[in-house]
Amino acid sequence: MSHVDDGTLHAYLDGELTAVEAQGVEAHVAECPACRGRLQEERALIARADELLGLAAPPDRGASPPFPLSALRRGGQGVRLLSALRRGGQGVRLPLAWAATVLLALRVGMYLGGAPPARHAQPAAESAGDLTAHPAATLPAVRETLSVKRPAASPAQRPRQAQRPAAPAAQAAPEGAERRQANAVGEVAHAMEAGEDSLEASRAREERTAAQPPMSSALYRADGGYTVTGPALTLDSARALLGADPQVVPGLPVRAIRTARRMGYSVLVVVEQALDSSTTITVINGRPSTLQLDAVVVSSAARPDSTGAAGRALVVRGRAAPPTDSLPPAARKADAAWYTRGAFADRSSAELFVEVRGPLSADSLAALKRRLQPLRP
Amino acid sequence: MPDDLAEVYRTTYRALVRFLYRRVWDAERAEDLAQEAFARALVHKPEKARGWLFVVAANMARDDARRAARERRHLTLLKAEPQETDSGADDALHAEGERLRVRAALEQLTPRDREALLLWDSGLSYEEIAAQTGLARGAVGTTLARARRRLVEAFEAGGKGEHVARG
Repeated sequence: MSHVDDGTLHAYLDGELTAVEAQGVEAHVAECPACRGRLQEERALIARADELLGLAAPPDRGASPPFPLSALRRGGQGVRLLSALRRGGQGVRLPLAWAATVLLALRVGMYLGGAPPARHAQPAAESAGDLTAHPAATLPAVRETLSVKRPAASPAQRPRQAQRPAAPAAQAAPEGAERRQANAVGEVAHAMEAGEDSLEASRAREERTAAQPPMSSALYRADGGYTVTGPALTLDSARALLGADPQVVPGLPVRAIRTARRMGYSVLVVVEQALDSSTTITVINGRPSTLQLDAVVVSSAARPDSTGAAGRALVVRGRAAPPTDSLPPAARKADAAWYTRGAFADRSSAELFVEVRGPLSADSLAALKRRLQPLRP
Repeated sequence: MPDDLAEVYRTTYRALVRFLYRRVWDAERAEDLAQEAFARALVHKPEKARGWLFVVAANMARDDARRAARERRHLTLLKAEPQETDSGADDALHAEGERLRVRAALEQLTPRDREALLLWDSGLSYEEIAAQTGLARGAVGTTLARARRRLVEAFEAGGKGEHVARG
């Protein structure tokens, strides 16, 4: 076999040869010291080029902003969102700060009791139809959203979950009502699924929340609530789902691992741990999804009364996987290659969202969260 | 379809921003354009969304560059951007200096080499790159090999020049 040309070497190193072609290259390289040397050189060249390109990456390596649903409408949606968050003194961490806020509001709701009706289903589904008429692209609105520092990443959005814009509509309901709310939410999602294009349905949601600012904020379920969807998982399943080891508080017995669903997350694994005989905490591991529709809905939901305590965010980005660009170049390219070729591998390249909940003070929860470690078998 | 688009957004948004950034060299502008590209995709619902997005993004970047050139000609003339920009001893400026050097090196590639390289770096496959650039599938590897070599050479050459200038 003749020597391997540069293009083929690069294609080989880029993983772009067919299996047969790749075998051919390998067979030749095994016998040909010259080509073996060149292979190393080209590998180094690729790594170097990747490194250089990495230097020329955009300075802000934040997570992706919400899917640009708001780009379809002309209006001050993003501006409102921003100012609402600023009123909360937070100004910068979109959905995460929001989740914390909302958690707090939930506590308040718990004590106050009461179960606000989930009444969004109908209108949302009804108004979903007229949305395609909207012209595209309002950069100003998008810009406002973008200029906010973005929270933990954007990965893994399942198509289905595009339909969960309904969830935040239920924000701020007391926990007692949570299950009911969740059911209602599920119905909305199904209603939407049935006939409507999901994004348009989402837009409908956005449309509605924007159109009805006077809507009681009590209707927005406040916990960033999640709905446990399945039976207990094994650790292996949880790991496979998350694409990483779930974070837990070391030393505490794990009572159960469950999968759950929540707005803005494609994967949610909830680990229940016994703090003592009567206290259970939950550690929520989530893969944020790209379609952060909660951010869209939040834009009109965020009110001074609920944003005040955003600073108590107990929400951190996990360190399960660094952003691709901070990896060594070679790893980065490998990662990038997977990124585009396998949704599964892609998951591990995104950041994990971790949150600890339990009937404890914010400080205690924060302390627990600092102790989180990946759960290994 | 939008569901797929959400998936594409998830996997491609950052790459698209990176791709755009290396065209417009303004992070915020790159994000804007990427958002706009996706917004357009929502309306047009293209069949092959990913390739479509990069085509649209490339066109937008081109238009953007022209517009910017009209509005602020001096800022877009990369060649005219002096090396002194990164001569500040400040560490904070170092990264920016590196970026400028890479940018200058990229500018020395032929448009086709550069596009292939940036598309690859954005995560497109050889097949997608071929479809977008008009290269034969089999020529992508060769193009990338050349583009990478030139990029590294141009960068190193620029670096030497800079050191001498600083010396």
